[in-house]
Amino acid sequence: MRMNLGLLLAGLGVFCLTAPIAAHHGFDTEYDSNKTITGTGVVSKVEWTNPHMHVYIDVTDASGKVTTYNLELTSPNAIQRLGWNKNDLLAGEKVTFAGHAGRVVESRGALDSLVKVSAPKQEIFKGQRPAEVGSN
Amino acid sequence: MKRMLAISGTVLGLMLALVVQPQAQGGRGGGQAAGQGAGRGQGAAPGAGQGAGRGAVVVGQLAGKPVVQPAQRGASYRDSISPTDPAMNGPVPRLADGHPDLSGPWEGGGSDQDMEIDGGMAKGELDALLLPWAKTLKAERSKAIYGEPYIYCLPMSVPRVNPYPWTFVNGYTSKGLERIYVLHETGDAGAHRVVYMDGRKHPVDPLPTWWGHSTGRWEGDTLVIDTTGYNDKFWFDSVGTPHTEKLHTIERWTRISYGTLVLDFTIDDPGTFTKPVELRFVARITKPGVDLMEYICAENNQIGLAGGYLSKDNASQIGIAGGPPQTPEKK
Repeated sequence: MRMNLGLLLAGLGVFCLTAPIAAHHGFDTEYDSNKTITGTGVVSKVEWTNPHMHVYIDVTDASGKVTTYNLELTSPNAIQRLGWNKNDLLAGEKVTFAGHAGRVVESRGALDSLVKVSAPKQEIFKGQRPAEVGSN
Repeated sequence: MKRMLAISGTVLGLMLALVVQPQAQGGRGGGQAAGQGAGRGQGAAPGAGQGAGRGAVVVGQLAGKPVVQPAQRGASYRDSISPTDPAMNGPVPRLADGHPDLSGPWEGGGSDQDMEIDGGMAKGELDALLLPWAKTLKAERSKAIYGEPYIYCLPMSVPRVNPYPWTFVNGYTSKGLERIYVLHETGDAGAHRVVYMDGRKHPVDPLPTWWGHSTGRWEGDTLVIDTTGYNDKFWFDSVGTPHTEKLHTIERWTRISYGTLVLDFTIDDPGTFTKPVELRFVARITKPGVDLMEYICAENNQIGLAGGYLSKDNASQIGIAGGPPQTPEKK
């Protein structure tokens, strides 16, 4: 698991180097491109809603405290056009994620990558672009 | 001869820009040179400056000048065919009445960020035309982008596009093509933009609206849309370029090949600019099978929460009111 997270972080680093996030209205004022968040937890909700999808993940720390991360994606139409559908990620599934934290609310983030613990090499909703987050 | 040299210089500049493929920021210098060479007159090619973008390609000719498909900005062309796909250069499909089929669906063809750059002008060129009040307002808006109505799911209006497909819908009746509707996957906010093709005039002193009153006509293979009666509520782009209710726009839409639709966009607003503004945008045809999908923007709009601009309390009102809050909780 540790290795998978490392791979994810490495991938994220490469992404950041090769695809600087556009100054699209929203992203830079909502999220901090220099502040990454990662974690492993349980999906509590997947919202296939407009303008953007949200995935909620409950992460429990060593002390037992649960933090719910609210991770924003692009539109459900864009995700569907990439070939994903509502059965590809369900509440109750254990996942590992990486993203950029909100500038003020750090439990809100722009999702960069997401894998199920049961299939760590298969990214879910891969292809969404953080640059779109924050726009309609 | 001088003009020929200027055009040749422009083409050479574009080719160099394409070979070098500078970063988007660095590319604007090239855009400036190209823009100056192309001139600003009616039918000129202000969009030539777009050639400097990373990944930009020349996709055809219009009025004897190269048309540059701009670089990908965000994901604006994600569902379109590649600009280097040979299908791009295929013939223009035509309607039964002989006019070009402009239906698409398309991606791009407007600005999703900064229309000055997206529309082919050099950095600062558009701002230099702003009257003092408009310059001040734009500067204020740049510090408060959460004030833009569009991000609260209100209509985007012209010349805005977003990273989703849009289409012209031909409304034929027994009398022929009476109306053209413009539909965007999102951005219309429940409205439907109508272009009257039946020869009617603009109403006198209309109630200003988000999309204004549009009349259209064919000039050869170009669809010309003339619009007045806009309100002053929408922002032209996400950097807050303003306008007044005196706004009058002229859109000249020309499909130059199977894959490319060019918009030469004239902004005539003496309340905002010292002279009319000429911009060029390029739309790309979507891949086969791409249709517009349902997009109900106000369904779950959480804009402003992660950045701390809104709290959950006042954000919950936005979904109901559909507009920006009057008093920012936190900057």
